[in-house]
Amino acid sequence: MNRDSRRLIRMSYLVASVAGVVFFAMSVALLGVWPGRVLEGETRAMSPPHPLGLTASERRGRAIYSREGCAYCHTQQIRYLHSDMVRFGAPTLAWETRFDYPHLWGPRRIGPDLAREGRTHSEDWHFAHLFAPRALAPDSVMPAYPSLFDGSPDRPRQEARDLVQYLESLGRARELAGPEGEAHARAACNCPTDEMAQMAFHATELNANPARARRQGSAPKLAAPGNRDRGMQLYLHDCAGCHGSRGEADGPGASGLHPRPANLAGHEYSVDRLGYVLWNGVSGTSMQGWRDLSAEDLASLAQFVRGLHAAQQEPALPQNLADLGARVYADNCAQCHGEHGAGDGSAVPELRIAPADFRGARPSVAESLRALRNGVEGTQMAPWTGRLNEAELSAVAYYVRGFFQGAQ
Amino acid sequence: MPMMEASKAVAAPRVEARLVYAHGLAAIVTLLISVSFGILASIELLAPDLAGNPPWLSWGRLRYDHTQGILFGWLGNAFFAFLYHAVPLLTGRPVVSARLGQWLFGLWNFAVVAPGWVLVLAGFSQPLEWAEFPMVIDAFVVLALVLAIIQFLPSFFWRGLEDLYVSSWYVIGALVFTLLAYPMGNFVPELVPGARGAAFSGLWIHDAVGLYVTPLALAIIYFVIPAATRRPIFSHFLSMLGFWLLFFLYPLNGTHHYVFSVIPMSAQIGAITASALLGVDVIIVVTNLLLSLRGSGVFPRDVGLRFAAMSTIFYLVVSIQGSVQAQMAVNQTVHFSDWVIGHSHLAMLGFSTFAAAGGLAHVWQRIPWARYNARALDWSYWLLFSGVILMVTDLTIAGLVEARLWQSAAPWLDSVRAARPYWFIRTGSAIPIAAGFIALLAGFTTGPRGAGLKSVERTIGLVPVGKIAPRLARVASGASS
Repeated sequence: MNRDSRRLIRMSYLVASVAGVVFFAMSVALLGVWPGRVLEGETRAMSPPHPLGLTASERRGRAIYSREGCAYCHTQQIRYLHSDMVRFGAPTLAWETRFDYPHLWGPRRIGPDLAREGRTHSEDWHFAHLFAPRALAPDSVMPAYPSLFDGSPDRPRQEARDLVQYLESLGRARELAGPEGEAHARAACNCPTDEMAQMAFHATELNANPARARRQGSAPKLAAPGNRDRGMQLYLHDCAGCHGSRGEADGPGASGLHPRPANLAGHEYSVDRLGYVLWNGVSGTSMQGWRDLSAEDLASLAQFVRGLHAAQQEPALPQNLADLGARVYADNCAQCHGEHGAGDGSAVPELRIAPADFRGARPSVAESLRALRNGVEGTQMAPWTGRLNEAELSAVAYYVRGFFQGAQ
Repeated sequence: MPMMEASKAVAAPRVEARLVYAHGLAAIVTLLISVSFGILASIELLAPDLAGNPPWLSWGRLRYDHTQGILFGWLGNAFFAFLYHAVPLLTGRPVVSARLGQWLFGLWNFAVVAPGWVLVLAGFSQPLEWAEFPMVIDAFVVLALVLAIIQFLPSFFWRGLEDLYVSSWYVIGALVFTLLAYPMGNFVPELVPGARGAAFSGLWIHDAVGLYVTPLALAIIYFVIPAATRRPIFSHFLSMLGFWLLFFLYPLNGTHHYVFSVIPMSAQIGAITASALLGVDVIIVVTNLLLSLRGSGVFPRDVGLRFAAMSTIFYLVVSIQGSVQAQMAVNQTVHFSDWVIGHSHLAMLGFSTFAAAGGLAHVWQRIPWARYNARALDWSYWLLFSGVILMVTDLTIAGLVEARLWQSAAPWLDSVRAARPYWFIRTGSAIPIAAGFIALLAGFTTGPRGAGLKSVERTIGLVPVGKIAPRLARVASGASS
């Protein structure tokens, strides 16, 4: 090789080396720096003023979420796709991720996306679920984290509390921004023709999680009759963990829940009431919605649940006690449970958990008395033994059963 | 043995065989540990409460250690073993310093891999893909990468760059650009939040595979094929074209991990386009490699070459699959599903591991005092081959089943229930895979000393290197025209 060709080769290597570095720098510029600047601009423009960041407890919870690899089964990124929006809600906007150091978008979904997990389940549910996921959902493959507890879901350590605080914070910033925040972001986006960007603002619900309990909501009318065997199968998969295999509220997941799960064997339910509760859950309790079940499955489940109640002939109430019951009810109960037992009394808007609707659910005398004597832990239903005497308690326990309208 | 034959004529470049040996053994030991993490994690998906849920055995931590162990422990050590053999032969010069090599070995295994594993199990980690070891470990990785550059690159420059064989290009490229890319995924997302950080994260997710694993795996394949087929590579031009396209296109793929995210659509589309073009590049590379392999059969007699040949085929399949699954129509369905887990195993367990195992077998044959068990390596090949095929097929189908359920109105848990039989088979595929790796260890630690060379004699024959790879030979012999 002569000197010129050597020089040529050296030159070409120099060019090549520079080119290599340029390629790499280009990738960083095109896929890192430039999108970063765009996203930063979007964040600045679309973010509501002073969005709520994480509290100290939530930050600690986030560190636990990180160290346990939660993001490797639960993404935190709702994509601009119909299928994601239907299951999880509004696609993730850049500004929603502004406090995520580092991001937790995640590579895999074995469990559902958690970007809008906040206020989807109750705290109790989270504790019970973290302590023993299969107590609530026998088919779950989530690892259990008993080391975050002092031996039972009732006794969370600080780490469990922090983790649940963090889970409850997911999706909060955008929810708190409210309709004004949405309008602001949409105006700032200024993207009326960008179909994909528009998707962020077109979700029917910000949080579309079918499990999220709703205080108010319509429910589809259940077609009767369902398939009882299918109902049993669904019940054992999805319900028995808390409500117990015989509906006696003694499932393995029940112990950590306040209020306790409903005693299905101790109540007679109307189909409409079951349809409503299955669809909307019971807001403020650990009863989630089951809007991901098909109408046929819901009907089957309702039929099975109605069958859990052992119908027994209970003696009719003497007329004088019935009058006493009506009087006691009107004086003490109607304010919350409503004049006609529909759970629609004047005090309802003040209550965190909707009071029992006796038109849709008839408690057995024993259940009714138990609630009157002990109250219902975790709700505003207090024990009445101090205010009512035994005769009054019995009278009203019988009386509320008369509101039921769902007998078949 | 071809290269030794040639180098007898002139002063043979000193190969630090003890470092080859040390890294080779460390590779297989860390491989077995990493695979154990993976197997445990897969069993926990079938029986989540089996181990009693101690924090240090929880699924997430095992998952972190599994992939980091494969990336650093197994592939890192295997690559170093190969480099200690190949760099002197490619450059005609020894590596910079055997003592530096000992430091590098110690740093890599006892300041990165081992403490990284322990820290992750103890709850200190980073929730970032291919960057799960905590930041304190990242600092040692960067230090080790700098030392690796000091150790291996000067030989190329001392020798003069006129006669760089394509493997040399890949080695230089990999060492330099891994160092540059590493901070993108390990440090930047800690400083830049959310979606912005994810954009950088995406760069490293792809560069870890594209600028670290792939170039070094290709360096091995390009090295082993001419050395073991007794023919030069089919086309040096195609080699170089493939090399430059790879280094141009691979880094531009990153954002395809976040399709349909809030990251600007033009960046997504750019990355998707680059992903499609990357498929074209891989076709060029693989065509060149397969043409170089012609006449050797799909399953060549020499086990090192056999691993390298199958690695080439896996590389083609996994890359075409990658190009396809980056496309929006496919991505929106299979993303987040087990399809992707199948894809990553085809890349890391198929392509990369087969290249690394081929490279190790090749260099082991050429350590005169090393034990070598040809029969065990044969077993290893066939066990791994069947294990990979079973696992990847199974996970790919599982991904499609999950994806179909996600598109439907079915409850989420239905997709978990539907995946269970596939996860069972996946755990079952661990049996041939783990057995294959144990056989690999047996191949390198049992059998008579020096049996490797005998095996080369039997399968390839000892032919002067000049007839095999003139370019390699010219460089190796230190001849200058």
